[in-house]
Amino acid sequence: MRPTRRLQGRIAAGTLTLALAASGCAGGSGSEDSSDDSIVIGVSLPLTGDFSEPGKGVERGYKAWAKIVNDKGGLLGRKVELKILDDQSNADRVVSDYEQLIGRDEVDLVFGPFSTRLVVPSARVAEEYGMLFVEPAGAAPEVFDQGFKNLFYAAPAVANDHYNHLADYILALPAGERPKSVAYAAMDDPFAQGTAYGLKEKLEKGGIKTVVDEVYPPNTTDFGSIAAKIADSKADMVVGGSQYQDGVNLIVALQQLNYQPKMAAFSTAPTEPEFAKAIGNKTEGILAPTGYTQKADYPSNKEFVEKYTKQFGKAPEEDEANAYTTGQVVAAAVEAADCASQDPECQSKLVDWLRGNEVETVVGPLKWDDKGRPQSAHMIQQWIDGEIQIVLPEAQKEADLVHPKPAW
Amino acid sequence: MPSASLVFQSVVLGVLLGGLYALLAAGLTLYFGVMRVVMIAHSAFLILAAYLAWYAHRETGIDPLLTLVVTVPLFFAAGVAMQRLLLTRLRPATLTMMSVLLTFSVALTIEGLLGYAFSGTQRRIRLGYSSAGFEFLGARIAAVKLIAFGMAALALLGLYVLMKHSRFGQALRATIQHREAAQLLGIDTDRIAGYGFGLGLATAAVGGTALALDTTIYPSLHWHWIGPLMAIIVVGGLGSVPGAAIAAMTLGMLQSLLQLELSTTWAQTVFYVALFATLAFRPQGFFGGRLAQRF
Repeated sequence: MRPTRRLQGRIAAGTLTLALAASGCAGGSGSEDSSDDSIVIGVSLPLTGDFSEPGKGVERGYKAWAKIVNDKGGLLGRKVELKILDDQSNADRVVSDYEQLIGRDEVDLVFGPFSTRLVVPSARVAEEYGMLFVEPAGAAPEVFDQGFKNLFYAAPAVANDHYNHLADYILALPAGERPKSVAYAAMDDPFAQGTAYGLKEKLEKGGIKTVVDEVYPPNTTDFGSIAAKIADSKADMVVGGSQYQDGVNLIVALQQLNYQPKMAAFSTAPTEPEFAKAIGNKTEGILAPTGYTQKADYPSNKEFVEKYTKQFGKAPEEDEANAYTTGQVVAAAVEAADCASQDPECQSKLVDWLRGNEVETVVGPLKWDDKGRPQSAHMIQQWIDGEIQIVLPEAQKEADLVHPKPAW
Repeated sequence: MPSASLVFQSVVLGVLLGGLYALLAAGLTLYFGVMRVVMIAHSAFLILAAYLAWYAHRETGIDPLLTLVVTVPLFFAAGVAMQRLLLTRLRPATLTMMSVLLTFSVALTIEGLLGYAFSGTQRRIRLGYSSAGFEFLGARIAAVKLIAFGMAALALLGLYVLMKHSRFGQALRATIQHREAAQLLGIDTDRIAGYGFGLGLATAAVGGTALALDTTIYPSLHWHWIGPLMAIIVVGGLGSVPGAAIAAMTLGMLQSLLQLELSTTWAQTVFYVALFATLAFRPQGFFGGRLAQRF
């Protein structure tokens, strides 16, 4: 698949170069600066199919950003306009969508789609055309291993760094309190696995033993056997590289086997609004990393939460916030570079600026390394007294981390 | 090497899982037996029943098991209607093949409507006893899994008694064995086939409710179930209810035990390995009769 797609990209890029050269020879006036003056931003999102739920969240985040920017008079004095296509969660479709947006629709800027599986192919298209590519949801290691030069991930940390604060906390515990063995179960998904394996690597380096290491396919609904293995290992700590339903099912299966670890950490699932209801409020002590909280007191976040809630009738979640962050990052670059068009010089100015600067966003100040990896870490939340609260890092905490966790 | 207690725990889980598989597969094999219909939508009806149980529980707080009072007759009626109004219109010569298409479209329709009504969000029934369990010879048995197993066992027993000891059951079996001969004996095979189909769908109501007790549900979940269930009924011998039950128990147990040594991903393939092996070496299935040999 990959070589073919890359080839297609090249051919398309070649065609575009020819087309541009042709129009240049004809001396045709640029259509974008004559007809209307708005900055058009092209996006392809999974509005239907497997990722439709988070895809719609990202769409709301982008729309909220466009509205807030336009209400303040736009970017560089021009209105912003979103052109959103539906890629049906399909990796081939997302490639042709971005080729259409950049090549035929001649959008001025692009924003990324949702999730690693769609970000990688679409980033390749943007790369071929030399466009800046800021994306809200491709956190897996493979996104940053492709050698993309124009890609920036608009969130605090890549998947493998989500648990960094927790790893530091555990390794700093006195030997007697530190968990000695850990059981890992991760969904066969680059993001979910990345979170669990990032923690695993750090804990193993710190001398903490891995006693179970299970990977399950995304459609698994029966977790009885995995739970039996974990319970049998009597691990002090359990770590779930989970999305949503798998995390819920695994926790319930562990509870059914009356497995009581001293520490339990699961990615994504515990931060979902439905979580507590789904597992019957037996949530006490469960840890989860999170990249966003409505309560964070960064100045732009207050504005975002307030205006988003007014626009959509409910408070934003992480997907919406990361989409909004994408908008903020691109806007900061556009204002600094004082341009927004497909012109290669402009796009490379945008990329260069982001490479060397820090941007204030709703998830805090962000800066990136040369591969586009954000350099912050996720906060760690814990369910305490029936409520999910920030416990790490020290500076942001709302409550003290409870360890060992009470029985669930 | 896994410890003895873990192996025993896995055996227990395998039995509980196999029981559920047995019930889910029983209906599927019944349609084929009675009508030579490959019912792709069977698992979609399972999910529909699970959603009805979840919805009733969310709206009124009643125990999901009580929804069976409504869903079982409802699904029976829906099955009869589906057979009489849709499937009888297919040409007998191409019935088996065309029924795949027809029921596939029914499955898509159900999935689409569920998505429309309840969105793609994953749902779970919140039960006070969802994580309750008890010790049994060192293994731990979850209450909800035992309830699901009990429902499956009761439904299968009921099906067995009905098939073996009632006039309707005799007529149904006669229809399965030889349609023309049954007609010669004065059995209204069309009506019997309709009831047989309804019966299959009624097992889906029970199975779906059992499923909803212990797992999250979402509209496209049925695709995850139909593959293993199809494999089970082929291994068991198409049209044979006891065959399906035995194959389900065996494969459920195998899946559970294989997970000890292999990953979850590979353990799932046991159904398809069994399917290939059956088709290659014993296409009529291991417990089925004469019926399957004709296909």
